[in-house]
Amino acid sequence: MLLEVSGLTKFFGGVGAVWDFDLHVNEGEIAGLIGPNGAGKTTLFNLISGYVRPNKGRIMFDGNDITGKKPHSIAKIGLGRTFQLTPLLSEFTVLQNVVASFYLHPRLSLWAAYFNTGTYRRNERYILDQSIEILHLVGLEKVRDEFAKNLPQGYQKMLCMARALAIKPKLLLLDEPAGGMNPDEIDFTMATIKKIRQQGITILLVEHNMQVLDICESVRVMNFGKKIAEGSVEEVRQNKEVIKAYFGSEHVA
Amino acid sequence: MQIVVTGAVNALVLSSMYILVALGFALLLSIAGILNFAHGAIYMVGGYICYQFAVGFGLNLWLSLLVSVLIVGLLGLLLEKFCFRAFFGDMVNSIIMSVALIIILETTVNVTVGVYIRSIPQFASGIIRSGAISISAERIVTLIIGGILLLLFTLFIKKAKIGLEMLAISQDPVGAVLQGINIHSICALAFFMGCGLAAVAGCLMGAVFGLSPFMGDFILVKAIQLVILGGIGSTFGILVAGLIIGSIDATLPLFVTGAVTDVVGFGVIVVLLLLRPQGLFGRREP
Amino acid sequence: MNKANRKFSMWKGKTPTKAVIYVGLIIILFVLPLVTRSPYYLHILILTFIYIIATSSLRTIAISGQLSLGHAGFMSIGAYVSAVLAKELGWTPWLTIPLGGLATAAVAVLIGYPFSRLRLIYFSMVSLFFGVAILAVNATLSDYTGGAVGLIAIPPLFASSKLPYYYFCFVLLLLSLLALRRFEVCRIGMTVKTVAQSHWVASSVGIDESNYRVLALAVGCFFVGIAGAVYAHYNLVLSPNGFNLLASINLVIYMFVGGMGSFFGPLIGTATLIIIPELFRGIKEFVPYIYSGIMLIVIFLMPQGIASLLGQVKFWVANVRERKTVRHAS
Repeated sequence: MLLEVSGLTKFFGGVGAVWDFDLHVNEGEIAGLIGPNGAGKTTLFNLISGYVRPNKGRIMFDGNDITGKKPHSIAKIGLGRTFQLTPLLSEFTVLQNVVASFYLHPRLSLWAAYFNTGTYRRNERYILDQSIEILHLVGLEKVRDEFAKNLPQGYQKMLCMARALAIKPKLLLLDEPAGGMNPDEIDFTMATIKKIRQQGITILLVEHNMQVLDICESVRVMNFGKKIAEGSVEEVRQNKEVIKAYFGSEHVA
Repeated sequence: MQIVVTGAVNALVLSSMYILVALGFALLLSIAGILNFAHGAIYMVGGYICYQFAVGFGLNLWLSLLVSVLIVGLLGLLLEKFCFRAFFGDMVNSIIMSVALIIILETTVNVTVGVYIRSIPQFASGIIRSGAISISAERIVTLIIGGILLLLFTLFIKKAKIGLEMLAISQDPVGAVLQGINIHSICALAFFMGCGLAAVAGCLMGAVFGLSPFMGDFILVKAIQLVILGGIGSTFGILVAGLIIGSIDATLPLFVTGAVTDVVGFGVIVVLLLLRPQGLFGRREP
Repeated sequence: MNKANRKFSMWKGKTPTKAVIYVGLIIILFVLPLVTRSPYYLHILILTFIYIIATSSLRTIAISGQLSLGHAGFMSIGAYVSAVLAKELGWTPWLTIPLGGLATAAVAVLIGYPFSRLRLIYFSMVSLFFGVAILAVNATLSDYTGGAVGLIAIPPLFASSKLPYYYFCFVLLLLSLLALRRFEVCRIGMTVKTVAQSHWVASSVGIDESNYRVLALAVGCFFVGIAGAVYAHYNLVLSPNGFNLLASINLVIYMFVGGMGSFFGPLIGTATLIIIPELFRGIKEFVPYIYSGIMLIVIFLMPQGIASLLGQVKFWVANVRERKTVRHAS
């Protein structure tokens, strides 16, 4: 198991955003997490990636206990993520966004960087090449010199993904990767996610859009902070609780 | 006992004057979204105008105070329309604008009236005695005027319709516009009131402590201290902060040098801001 | 992946024209003292050089998302530390000036970590108070620093009056600009700018933000400390009034008038606001009006700073050239 979450609980004031949540993701799989709006999915992501501290529970990633650690330390050991609201480095171009994200690998030596040593120059060339490759992977190579803030929403999502790939993650948390996309873009996103998995990266994605679920091998359903179902895509689609959560109890046959 | 009373009176005098100026500064910050560093210079101009009318033209002292408030208020309206309207919400350029204003105002006063300190005649002379305790009448009067104005101001903000509209703008300008609140006239009023309050403080302080073209620099730092310590967006915070800072400034110099007082004053603020960046009662999330 | 691909994307836009301008300016400034022996002009330029270092270092801090409104306070740390060490302990200014810079950087590191947790406007306010508080500390240590009266009889850097100072400050300015420029352009600067633009992005790619904020603050404070120390050993007299809140605000204004977006903005702003008012020396009392007049012109006509205007001019010139070639082609 690459990621193991047990008993995770988080209260905001008196409101329970996440209740006693258990989750595990196996290496190499594309795992899905769905649930209606306000179910607590993003909070769960924030808990796992260190932006929010849990009240109770434990998070194990790749054999390390990362509960309560800071986001940058968690990123260091190979957990990458995208964000629903697509934060950008708006003063930078698309290419610069990705290049700047190559902070962890290769490791930066302040001395070498400042004095422009041979090693630093080699590293920068390598980073540049890798960045351009990543841009090809996510389909942004044509807009690489465009300023990030000028991109349409769908492209911004792909840029978020590109940035996350720069840290050479073992696990990638994708928060609504298909948000705001038209069907063509969604197809492309799904294909890209599959390609990323082929490179050996495990994926856990949160999605609102049922279409994206098709690429998931396992799905967990969340509502009101609790896990209400788990299984393969087919099993979850039939699950009564899930249907009730999404469509209301009248639709339960 | 005498010392306690004198200390208390001085603390309240300083507090109320600081608060008057700070409220004006905060008003402009919250409503127009500008950092008007020239507020201190406006306070100074108020004092000098009062002097000019009282001593230069021989007008009754209290009338001179009133005239000064009106003139400075009018000046505030002009500033709003011609200087700051272009920079609402633009902190960077409003800082530059206000510093340009400081320079222009201070230089003009300096060149015309000169640097030597004059003093506005006392608003009330003599000593009030009660038993073994004597207090300067002037300071009591200053205190009372300051207190009344603060009371009026707080009532205005809380109860009067326009006051509430100001509150609305400070919390959510876009929403306020959608509600039909006329931002421009409210901002003009804010400028008028803010500058007027500063003028009163300038006159009163000018009588108690004397005038100087650069007296505004000192009071500006105090105003900023109050606004930051009290918390941006909180009137009550400014009142509390004013009492704290005023008390420190009035009492500590009795025990340590003025320089140490300053260190304590600023040190307290720096430490507090590190622990609680939004100030004592500030609204924004840390 | 071929070289042409890389070159196009990362080309920083250096053109022959820029190089010519830079070299030309340097030559002019180098030759200037030989042309005009007036000590007064040299004095103005020396001050300008010193303040350009101070303002540029302010910008280095600003690109990390921290706008310091207390920069003159840091300058005073470098100035007083160097002056007092030289005066009381008899050390040579060549040693005490770098020490002044290091002392300022040390203070920056000390307060930088708690300060780095603060968001933009809160950092500005705290730095404002810190800058003023430094002066208050200065006053309490008046046995060493002379307090409000000031410090006199500071050992000079050079025996004679202007010429060696001029070249020293000029070379120091060039070295400082190079150093700061390199900081900004290399990956360290890129990481600092990343931290400034988005907390989410920076932390999600593994950057420990506070480290870089403190680094930017320390580097900026080191250079302003050096500038202060050099000022001390040039002016030979120090007064806390030269480093008060208004002085800090002035540095910020120099930076904004020149334009924060460009590396040379601080240089342009400082030079403009120091040199141009001097041209009106004749009407001494009214010089402040000239000074504020320049500020007003800039904020109303070029709110992004003078450097942005020059950028637009460049753009316009390039456009004109393109239109001409198109016309020729058709």
